[in-house]
Amino acid sequence: MSAYQNLEQMTGDFYTQKFEAAKQDGTLIINMGPQHPSTHGVLRIVIEVDGEYIVRAEPVLGYLHRMHEKMGETQTWGAFIPNMGRVDYGHPMAWNWSYVGAVEKLMGIEVPERAEYLRVIMTELNRITSHLLWWGAYILDLGAFTPIMYAFDDREMLLDILQRPSASRLTYSNFRVGGVQMDLDDKCIEMIKAFIPHFRERLPMYHDLVTENIILRKRIEGVGIIDQDMCRRYGCTGPVLRGAGVAYDVRKDEPYSVYDRFDFDIPTQDSACSAGRYHVRVAEMEQSLRIIEQALEQLPGAEGKHIMDKAPKPAMKPPAGEAYFNTEGGRGKVGIYAVSDGTKVPYRVKLRAPGFSNMNAFAEASTGTILADAVAILGSLDLIIPELDR
Amino acid sequence: MFGIPMILINLVIAAVASIAWVAVNALVLVYCERKFAGHIQRRPGPFEVGPHGVLQPLIDGLKLMSKQLLTPDNSDKVLFWLAPILSMIPVMLLFMPIPYSPLLTGMEVNLGLLLILAFSSFNGLAVILAGWASNNKWGVLGAARAVAQTVAYEIPLLLCVLAISFMTGTLNLSEITAQQAGWIIDWNVFKQPLAFIIFIVAMFGETNRAPFDLAEAESELTAGFHTEYSSMGFGLFFMAEYGYMVAMCSICAVLFLGGFHGPIPGIEGWWWMLLKTYALLFLMIWARWTYPRVRFDQLLNLNWKWLLPLATFNLLATALLMKL
Amino acid sequence: MLQALEGITTQCVAKQDKGKTGHEWSVFLAPGQIVKAASKLYEAEYSLEDVLALDFEEGFLVLYHFNRWNIEERVTLRVLVSKDNPTVPSIASIFDGADWHERETRDFHGVNFEDHPNLVPLLMCAEDVDLHPLVKTPKVRKSIKDILDLGEVISCNKEMEELFAEAEAEEASDA
Repeated sequence: MSAYQNLEQMTGDFYTQKFEAAKQDGTLIINMGPQHPSTHGVLRIVIEVDGEYIVRAEPVLGYLHRMHEKMGETQTWGAFIPNMGRVDYGHPMAWNWSYVGAVEKLMGIEVPERAEYLRVIMTELNRITSHLLWWGAYILDLGAFTPIMYAFDDREMLLDILQRPSASRLTYSNFRVGGVQMDLDDKCIEMIKAFIPHFRERLPMYHDLVTENIILRKRIEGVGIIDQDMCRRYGCTGPVLRGAGVAYDVRKDEPYSVYDRFDFDIPTQDSACSAGRYHVRVAEMEQSLRIIEQALEQLPGAEGKHIMDKAPKPAMKPPAGEAYFNTEGGRGKVGIYAVSDGTKVPYRVKLRAPGFSNMNAFAEASTGTILADAVAILGSLDLIIPELDR
Repeated sequence: MFGIPMILINLVIAAVASIAWVAVNALVLVYCERKFAGHIQRRPGPFEVGPHGVLQPLIDGLKLMSKQLLTPDNSDKVLFWLAPILSMIPVMLLFMPIPYSPLLTGMEVNLGLLLILAFSSFNGLAVILAGWASNNKWGVLGAARAVAQTVAYEIPLLLCVLAISFMTGTLNLSEITAQQAGWIIDWNVFKQPLAFIIFIVAMFGETNRAPFDLAEAESELTAGFHTEYSSMGFGLFFMAEYGYMVAMCSICAVLFLGGFHGPIPGIEGWWWMLLKTYALLFLMIWARWTYPRVRFDQLLNLNWKWLLPLATFNLLATALLMKL
Repeated sequence: MLQALEGITTQCVAKQDKGKTGHEWSVFLAPGQIVKAASKLYEAEYSLEDVLALDFEEGFLVLYHFNRWNIEERVTLRVLVSKDNPTVPSIASIFDGADWHERETRDFHGVNFEDHPNLVPLLMCAEDVDLHPLVKTPKVRKSIKDILDLGEVISCNKEMEELFAEAEAEEASDA
């Protein structure tokens, strides 16, 4: 234990000292974070800069580590669902879904059709809120203070909609093993139907005002190349992978639930730079609207209720075995690997966070760029730090 | 009166008026900026303190003054506290030669423009002192950026001002204003449109305003060179920045937009000067809340590859046309 | 997938029920073979999902999850190491993403990865590196055969069969 405490040198902690051991001449070592306006949470990156050029970067994680996987081994199966809301506050419904999907696989449960449609609608609405938050915060990092206000305007409408079936505004935990907590009432469906055309009108405005702006384009085009080989080595998924030209989306390539009944595209870009990832996410918002529209049309014809009859109680006992379930979250492929030993407490719950793998690629992508580019790359990866640290 | 020369009394009154003008402007501009920003962002801006928030800047100033003055450990205390003072004092001097009306001119200086250009360079020195004396790596980075930017953008500014003085044959701001008397078409902006555009862009660069605000880029450098300043140290930098903005906009109004002359001959007065200055200030505020930030190397590229050649070309063209 | 792993000595290759467990192939390997297997999978255009460990009575089971982008196929490589010497060669030289996953596994379970470029604590703080929070107490620790199912065996060597032997008998008695 004491091997990691170097008391002779009082400057810097363990990670800074280790980083400094390989320092070159004429460079400056600075800490970006853990308190920094653009790292979207408590992330620390130790950077060695030569002037303004980054020579080496090493992220230091763990500032937000709450050991959810241990909590998974001490709580009952049903009591772990709220933890999923706290792992990723951007798109918690995807994490909810992955977890209850894994448990349903273990128990061999089939979810009623109506519940599947409800899950799809709520998750896609949540995806739009996640992308709006990302978009506003990214442009804020790059110095434009206004688009975040517009984005949050739309996001407020969505939060009001999602509050009705879940009683939460940010950390949703309304999925249950066997369905969802509450059904969508008629007012909620009206609100969604009113939101879709409103948002469709706003997207071109965002495009004209922000996406086509020459200053923004110069900041993000060609910055932070994460190509297909890098994605394979690091395990990047989601918009990072689609921005590199690979049309891989869990909803189409490993379809789950009722996604195979909808007609939607997977936007990709070939540039593999921050601009590519940006355009992918903006296009995904439109595709989510399409899915929600189709789901609303097909919802009245779905059988069953919002949760299966005789749904398992929170202290359920799935039969012994292992199960892996993944969904497409706003950041990439969210995977939960659950191992049961037949008792009411899980044996192991492994949370596979997409941001963890995406962040891994940062060190290689940012070497040789300018400090300002590091901010642009971090924003384009769409990181939510609680997801990295769990 | 009692053997004190009139000119000394004039000077003292002008200096006091200058200081008062900067202070009042800081208050008014803060309010305008926050309100304008609010409305661009679809929210009301300050609203609670006083009717429609008019007392907000006053209370903010009081709050700033009542905070603790912190000096970081291991910092150079003399330089640390010298920097904001050095940033603030020259600003007040900048307003002396600017003619706000035929009567309201601080000093009639034959070398008015030279005085202004000389004193506006002090800001660069103050920024370096602030960044270095903070004993903070982010401060040093911010200071380095600010110096490179200020030094770079002074040159096209200078060249544009030179073009005007070639044309008018004088460096005295009152005379430059006098030569633009008459109709709106007599204003220099129609004789030197390129210089006007370059001046506006260089003005953004000189005053560290968005989209060129890298020195204090909040989201990248956690406030850059003034990271470690609290209370009135920060307040002084803040006021100095707004002071420079007003000074630059006033100079632009004098050089290009006819100063205190109205659009038709006969009507002139200090209100025209105020109108033009504030129109340019609104332009600066508007640009800040609309555009993202330019990257540092792109900023310098813009200057050295575009503004400088264009300004040089403008100067040569002016000289050529004057000869003919 | 079977062609991809040609030339690797496996301990057990089995096909799994995708609907029930979420992956298609489960391959048990000896620690010495994992680097070769990983490089073969890299050439066969698989992508690394994650690396984790499970704590059983027989030792630590280190799992490597791989998947492909254009074909729906998930593969799990499993390496069983003993508690006295939990050492596995690191695959960080092939899949750079394994760097962080292996550090996390070392933090949580204490599995040592040889030739790892930077084996320092990732999520735990430096002072708590010996804490290993996910190692279970003997009371709750189970045996591997109580939990995992071999599946449809393609090829299996004797040790693996013995390891899971009782489980087969138990399943037969449950069914």
